[in-house]
Amino acid sequence: MLEGILTGLQTAASPLNILMVAVGCFVGTFIGMLPGLGPISAIALMIPITYGFDPATGLILMAGVYYGAIFGGSTSSILINAPGVAGTVATAFDGYPMARRGEAGKALAIAAYSSFSGGTIAAVFLLIAAPSLAVVSLAFQSADYFALMVLGLTAVAAFAGKGNITKALLMTVLGLMLSTVGTDAALGMQRFTLGSLDLIDGISFLLLAMATFALSEALMSVLKPKSDDDRKREMEAQQNLGSMKVSGEEVKEMAPVVGRSSVLGFFVGVLPGAGATIASFLAYGMEQRLAGPKKGAEFGKGSIRGLSAPETANNAACSGSFVPLLTLGIPGSGTTAIMLGALISYGIQPGPRLFVDNPSVFWAVIISMYIGNVILLILNLPLIPYIARILAIPSTILIPMILFFSLIGVYFVSFNTFDIHLMVIFAVAAVGLRLLDFPMAPMLLGFILGGMMEDNLRRALSINDDSWSFLWARPLTLSILAIAVLILIVPMLTPQMKRLKALVYDRAAEGG
Amino acid sequence: MLSRDRIGALLLLAFSTAYGYLTFQIPVLPFQAEAAMTARTMPEVLTGLGVLLSLALLVKPGAGEGPSLAGFQWRAGLLVCVLMVAYGFAVRPAGFLISTTLLLAGGFLILGERRWWLILAASVPVVVFFWVLMTQLLGVFIEPWPEFLTGAGDA
Repeated sequence: MLEGILTGLQTAASPLNILMVAVGCFVGTFIGMLPGLGPISAIALMIPITYGFDPATGLILMAGVYYGAIFGGSTSSILINAPGVAGTVATAFDGYPMARRGEAGKALAIAAYSSFSGGTIAAVFLLIAAPSLAVVSLAFQSADYFALMVLGLTAVAAFAGKGNITKALLMTVLGLMLSTVGTDAALGMQRFTLGSLDLIDGISFLLLAMATFALSEALMSVLKPKSDDDRKREMEAQQNLGSMKVSGEEVKEMAPVVGRSSVLGFFVGVLPGAGATIASFLAYGMEQRLAGPKKGAEFGKGSIRGLSAPETANNAACSGSFVPLLTLGIPGSGTTAIMLGALISYGIQPGPRLFVDNPSVFWAVIISMYIGNVILLILNLPLIPYIARILAIPSTILIPMILFFSLIGVYFVSFNTFDIHLMVIFAVAAVGLRLLDFPMAPMLLGFILGGMMEDNLRRALSINDDSWSFLWARPLTLSILAIAVLILIVPMLTPQMKRLKALVYDRAAEGG
Repeated sequence: MLSRDRIGALLLLAFSTAYGYLTFQIPVLPFQAEAAMTARTMPEVLTGLGVLLSLALLVKPGAGEGPSLAGFQWRAGLLVCVLMVAYGFAVRPAGFLISTTLLLAGGFLILGERRWWLILAASVPVVVFFWVLMTQLLGVFIEPWPEFLTGAGDA
């Protein structure tokens, strides 16, 4: 393990890779700050640039973009109450009131210190947890992988569905359907190509990600432009940041919050489907309860604890979400799903073998996360007043730029004009589904896992003499599938249980 | 008016049905017909799931409100889509520099930008920078000029 860490350190600490983390953090902050564009869009926009890179360098750049985008999202949450990402919604609860009373600089500094601490503590956990889990997961068979993918998809649908699991499940199925377009890997049969040569290789994940996230977000901004009031507010916010100093007393108040929220954030991040958003809300809720009535009442009005908790937790969850990606090859979130797609395009198959076959990539990514956190603190924080000026760029210029980057990002990879037209079709469909309140992340995850799911299912069936009994033959497979079923059933039954409980109480009250 | 959920459910039901129809067009060779897993297996399962879930969403009671579309700039949205489609058709015959500059400038104009100096300053240097980055630094050849100037279309 020590040897692996040293190899990773050597790779991550090379001047080129440090530069990549720095560039990634900077660009990620820049993109993440744009309302509507989150880490998925930021990473998708960077993928075409990383195609010529060594896998470790490409992945390091994307990890930097991931952290940067989360931090950028926090910045727009604090300054203009417009979270770029769902994971930073809770940041706005107390960050924005602080900015309103002229303490935007301090709020940004607290957010940066909390993110740094959360990310660092979680990177240490990752350093310990990932190799152990990778060793265990070497014993996993195709059937277990198939079950794990089912679990990942159901968990994402359950958590990302904003209370409407059926819609999220439908989007997952849609993603899986799109993944079957092209030539069947095992049998060489063409499926759903509609006779088009351009579809024989299937739909590129980059195209789908770019169209359904970056391009559709840009189209949404065209359809629903910001009001003049919003624009005025943004200009004011980036002009009056105030002091960035945090007093010793405030640091003392933050320290225990950071410790608790890091642990919570990391473990929530590890769970498939949970991720930064749930981690930040859970940490916010936990701290509000622990703060007591006096301090708890300050939550929502500019409380330091209320700002520090979600910021720590969302960064810790980002590190946590790399555990299933690096050890099992199964992404737990839309963002790690897009990273998985990028890894596959580099010719690297993430999973337990990554730890054995490509230790330099495995460890370099983990170590670069730490470097990324340091860079966010020492480079991005002082530069925030300048980066925040991006909010002053008129949307008449910014939106066509996003369209341009999305289109040429895909075109420069394939040089096929059919891809541009396909992107427009997907982006329009995505806008329609967004307007109807259908979540996009489960679709992307379904698309990326679809091919692997089919491969593992086929392998499991052939190992098991074409019998479906592999689904219950091994206790591990059965347990994972049972958890997946529970994740689906529990939220569906909760409202019914509540209704039943209320009915019982009513009857008891009537009787008593 | 139909609720958001039901409109979505109907659309995805139609998509799943079309997907299901195309599933039966996937050829299965005679020797594969008896196998537990063919090229059709996964699409068949997905068709079933798609239809089932769309129907579940369709019949679900109290399925939310209708979409709120007030204040949407449909004309601008449509024009941007047309611009992107036109870019797809123009990028090869018109060359990268001209077509991409027009894409950016067209986008600025559609969104209401009328300052010509800004339109030019935000499009031409960006496009030239990207072309130089790709061709000179990353070594990817991209035809900069229209086909009629280079003779590429005659071949």
